[in-house]
Amino acid sequence: MADFLGFLGRYFLKRVAALGRSFLMMVNALCARPDFKRHSILLVREIYFIGVQSVIIIIVSGLFIGMVLGLQGFNILKDFMATGSLGTLVALAIIRELGPVVAALLYAGRAGSALTAEIGQLKASEQLSAMEMMAADPLHRVIAPRFWAGVISLPVLSLLFTLVGIYGGKFVGVDWLGLDDGIFWSAMQGSVDLLDDLVPMVVKSVVFAIVCTWIALFNGYDCRPTSAGISAATTATVVQSSLAVLGLDFVLTALMF
Amino acid sequence: MKYLKTEIAVGFFVLAGIIAAVVLSLKVAGLVLNSDSDVYTLHAKFDNIGSLKLRAPVKIGGVLVGRVSAIRLDPKNMTPVVDMEIQASCDKLSSESRASIQTAGIIGEQYISITPGFYDEDAGTTYLKNGDYFEDTGSALVLEDLIGKFLYSAGSSSKKDDGKDGAEAQK
Amino acid sequence: MPKDGGSIVQIRDLSFSYSGKQIYKGLTVDFPRGKITAVLGPSGTGKTTVLRLIGAQLRPDSGTVLFDGTDMNSLSRRQLYSVRKKMSMLFQSGALFQDMTVYENTAFPLQVHTKLPSEIIHDIVTMKLESVGMRAAADLYPAELSGGMARRAALARSIALDPELIMYDEPFVGQDPITKGVLVELIADLNSSLGLTSIVVTHDVREIMDVADYVVILAEGAVLGQGTPDEIRSSKDPRIVQFINGDYDGPYAFHLKGSGDYLEEL
Repeated sequence: MADFLGFLGRYFLKRVAALGRSFLMMVNALCARPDFKRHSILLVREIYFIGVQSVIIIIVSGLFIGMVLGLQGFNILKDFMATGSLGTLVALAIIRELGPVVAALLYAGRAGSALTAEIGQLKASEQLSAMEMMAADPLHRVIAPRFWAGVISLPVLSLLFTLVGIYGGKFVGVDWLGLDDGIFWSAMQGSVDLLDDLVPMVVKSVVFAIVCTWIALFNGYDCRPTSAGISAATTATVVQSSLAVLGLDFVLTALMF
Repeated sequence: MKYLKTEIAVGFFVLAGIIAAVVLSLKVAGLVLNSDSDVYTLHAKFDNIGSLKLRAPVKIGGVLVGRVSAIRLDPKNMTPVVDMEIQASCDKLSSESRASIQTAGIIGEQYISITPGFYDEDAGTTYLKNGDYFEDTGSALVLEDLIGKFLYSAGSSSKKDDGKDGAEAQK
Repeated sequence: MPKDGGSIVQIRDLSFSYSGKQIYKGLTVDFPRGKITAVLGPSGTGKTTVLRLIGAQLRPDSGTVLFDGTDMNSLSRRQLYSVRKKMSMLFQSGALFQDMTVYENTAFPLQVHTKLPSEIIHDIVTMKLESVGMRAAADLYPAELSGGMARRAALARSIALDPELIMYDEPFVGQDPITKGVLVELIADLNSSLGLTSIVVTHDVREIMDVADYVVILAEGAVLGQGTPDEIRSSKDPRIVQFINGDYDGPYAFHLKGSGDYLEEL
């Protein structure tokens, strides 16, 4: 029993210490005079790696999720003679939940793991130490631009996902199963609201972006600088980000909808 | 000034995000731009607004002419007041017009339907102007009340007997 | 103790432990200014750790590290970074930035810390690359370099800002004899031509004894012996003798401590 309590206590303290280190990392990375001229180049490069290179996976997933929703929704609504509400169903499901959540999960798997592995590799090959010794703070040059790139990229990816998903649903419902185009869009427009649905969606996705990027960067920065350490950190990034996204999604939904 | 390929790609990426946001607001949320500039506001008091929501449509004969802009309670007599923004092009509404809360389909969204009244200057009717109240309003029909009334009237005779039996059995 | 110039780095009564293992206990050592000091010692005694402690990448449990008279561990993050501009470190692996060419790597410290126009940066970088004989490789990426070339490129990067102190972390590991000779020559040349101080951590005794002005031997968390190369060579301490000559058995046993009874284990 005492062993178990001791184990629990040590584990808890280790987690709290890690949380503290991650806060310190973020504070030191973000609290600095931004040097726009020099750092904008880094930022653009990171948006390219994090955002632009995730576009394909986001668009393909969005399209298929929208199409599946259209198909399933049509089959269910058909029983209630309510296929006219398909637009509402697809749009609300994607805007309120699937868009921000699935985009964030894909982001954690595609970009988050890559960030962790990249920073872990920089650490293992002493490039971070080298920067420190050259008096170039790696928190400012490596962590901060990646963080901002993530915070910019994920909301954009979520918007793309949502738009493509809705068109995927429209493709199945209207072009394939023969619903009326006008009813599809007007039912959607009647029930989707800019302030009640779209703005909360963007808020959700900004929160997910902050949390996922933070987790990914910290796991890379704090990993053991060995092959095994990097792979463990990468796994931890994906697991922690996914759980954080799902948990936070519940909290945010309860707060905003 | 020469730009790198990555910079151009990032430019496209950000632009795509902005376009997605605009399309979502216009096409999906049905946002009408510069709608504020050419509308006027009318008020209507109801006994019960049911589940009328903000931005619910206002229709005349099924044609969309405006949206609900505010729902509040008149503090003096505790009756609900609904503000609606009506398109300026639709300015020939007589003061005899009726505003009623209707339901689209049996379980659909609620909206406000305006039935235009007659207009006769001799009879003292005017056109409704910005800030005017509808004199004639019809409250929302609450489905549960309707079902309740129906059940009550349909089963009133037999129910009375059942009640007596139950009461006697208890004694 | 050398008289001229004093000491650029003074370590006083320093204790350091890492994940429960005591690495240094009461270490006191000085590194003379303007000289090449070799830090020797068996593997696993934490020679590299000394360099990281001097750069304040690691914090000691107790004791002080003075660089140029300032206590490295009393500084704020910003002050620390400004002091680090005066020192540089050559990492074991070179630690070149993999996504930049040799030229960009060498230009990096200049771009970060100076506002020089790119023509002047180009001139400085070309000079630094020339001084390590790497000018022809300016446009290559680190992945295309051999180990010795990568170390020379990293050396060019570490002298880009004309530091007062260069710390070499195991510069000869895994190099062929010719490359070792080239690196030894470079260390000696740079030290005399740029007037800087070098600290070389290594266990390649013969190579470094030829050029070092001063030798410190670390073992078991403290200084085992120090002095000029001649003093070290003529030392009578059996542990130093064993280390310098590379005898396989002596005070440092061939068998690890705590191996237990061989026969019993069989």
